[in-house]
Amino acid sequence: MDRFLSNLAGYMDQYAVLPVLYHFHWMEWDDLAFDWCLVCLYGLLAVLVTYAICWPAEKLFPIERWNSQKAVLTDVFYTLLNRVGIIPIITFLLFYQAQSWFTGVLVEAGFIPPTLDELIPPLLYHPILTFFIYALILDFADYWRHRLSHSFRAWYALHALHHAQRQMSFWSDDRNHFFDDIISFLWFFAIGLVIGIPPLQFPLLILLLRFIESFSHANIKLSFGPLEYVLVSPRFHRLHHGLRAAGRVSCNYGGVFPFWDIIFRTADFSPVWMATGDAKAPEALATGSYLEQQICGAKMFFQALFAPKRPLGGGQPT
Amino acid sequence: MITRRLALATPFALAATKALGDTPSPICMVMNSAGASVSTIDMNSRQVIATEPAYREPSHWALTPDRQTLYVCDASGNALFAFDPHTGSPRGHVKVADPYQLGYSPDQKYLLVNALRLDFVDVYDATTLALVKRFKPGQWPSHLDFSPDSRWSFSSLQKSDTLFSIDLTTMTPRWTVKIGDTPAGVLWLNGKLIVCIMGEDGIVEVDPTDGHITRRQKTGPGAHNVFLDEDNNILYVSNRGPGDTSLSALDPVTLEVKRTYAIQGGPDDIEIAPDGKIWIALRYAEAVAILDPASGNYDTIPVGRSPHGIYLSTCLDRKGKLTAEII
Repeated sequence: MDRFLSNLAGYMDQYAVLPVLYHFHWMEWDDLAFDWCLVCLYGLLAVLVTYAICWPAEKLFPIERWNSQKAVLTDVFYTLLNRVGIIPIITFLLFYQAQSWFTGVLVEAGFIPPTLDELIPPLLYHPILTFFIYALILDFADYWRHRLSHSFRAWYALHALHHAQRQMSFWSDDRNHFFDDIISFLWFFAIGLVIGIPPLQFPLLILLLRFIESFSHANIKLSFGPLEYVLVSPRFHRLHHGLRAAGRVSCNYGGVFPFWDIIFRTADFSPVWMATGDAKAPEALATGSYLEQQICGAKMFFQALFAPKRPLGGGQPT
Repeated sequence: MITRRLALATPFALAATKALGDTPSPICMVMNSAGASVSTIDMNSRQVIATEPAYREPSHWALTPDRQTLYVCDASGNALFAFDPHTGSPRGHVKVADPYQLGYSPDQKYLLVNALRLDFVDVYDATTLALVKRFKPGQWPSHLDFSPDSRWSFSSLQKSDTLFSIDLTTMTPRWTVKIGDTPAGVLWLNGKLIVCIMGEDGIVEVDPTDGHITRRQKTGPGAHNVFLDEDNNILYVSNRGPGDTSLSALDPVTLEVKRTYAIQGGPDDIEIAPDGKIWIALRYAEAVAILDPASGNYDTIPVGRSPHGIYLSTCLDRKGKLTAEII
């Protein structure tokens, strides 16, 4: 599979991407262009695999049945933009430039930043273990990013876009405000500076983790049983998206592993299937187009920053 | 300081050695840049016999002046990984900032390291690996070479479109000149420099005294790296696209293209075996190609993702300058 995708990425690079780079005199990006092609192809594969598994499961075992799925279409757009389209490339470029600049500053100050597997030498010979330790650390960091995004009014004004969806499905994982994505980027950039860049030689494992995140949003009546204490299930994450959990006090913040919610006492394993959405969010956030959602989210964000007493989006104060 | 680990040969390498008595099989080592590993191939059986981990992004290599250690660059891992150049057994690593490309000066006094991401050209003491001088000549220093008398070094600056020269006797910059769109491979040849220009499909010949271009020659789309065969008879240029990728064979005096080999999969670095076969790292195909230059046919051996630099232990028997010392 890896080799097939590499070959495919090679063809994509040679015949689609490099001609563009060549035309615009950007050939210095040649080395990285192949990596971009791989990222896009693995992103596409992730979407296809998620669709192939989740779509029939949502049809067979739905929690809710909807007459119209127009609102879900916007989520499809978010997913394609985030996993296959321009966002991974922009994020990669920003991270590359920022990380290079900061490493240069440290090196000039006489400090060469280590990687996690350099700090713990036995990890060098156990790259898959290294990968999972990075996954645990990053998931832990994401737990706190997510929890804090519910704690600050202005930040939740952005994050409300993610919660506004009443037709939550496996497509909903990537519906985030652009500013919220930037905060996530900065958050993980800071983590990357502390523990080094995670190893990226296991794209299939990255794909698996992304699948778990998409799957946890799926409209599937499924509990993992005892495994619910190990991996975030659709039922566990649905409690986080439940109407009663929308806003600044919520539960089940974990993205892949529920350990952090258990440790920090925010876990809720109630055997219920909540209706999802944010009753206080403007309708544009729930059913608007991509642009309408982004504009509405930005307005709410600035309103929360500069007019903190006014209710967000015209609804009730959160 | 080198972090010492047990330099145990892998069971496969030992088995290969025993199979041929005490004479080890010659090996090929390939740096898999996106696989964070180094593959070792038995050149006789053409089988991958070991895959050693690196931190993040192994790229190029150099032999120490005594030819007892093979250093492999790991750029974003900020390390030089050390290997036994005969068996490929790992011997720990040295911490070095962003080593993308490296080379020892012919007088063996200095190790020059191009730190591509950090925009540094670093000069280290060849023996102690203490940093002697850091230059910041522009963006993305990539490939390098030296004048045979070790007075001057030359680094291509991929994003600045320039070539940069240092006077190593005074440790001062000599000149930085615009050379073309995305310069890459650099080679000292017959008193001149050959520089691959990726954005202009060919090579330029440069006067090393002041950096002005004296000749141009088209080779193929995305001319990336340049190598001279052991007998100084053929100059090879790898062309990495856009479009079809290839390896061009040129007359080193006239720079005329004698033959172009269609090599799919993005040829990057090459090494030439004693039997004349050309071993080529194919960046996009996760493979090494072994080209018969007479017939133009080639076989491939699967390795890790994005194979970049390639080393053949048969070069240890070579008297003159090694290929990797000039790429």
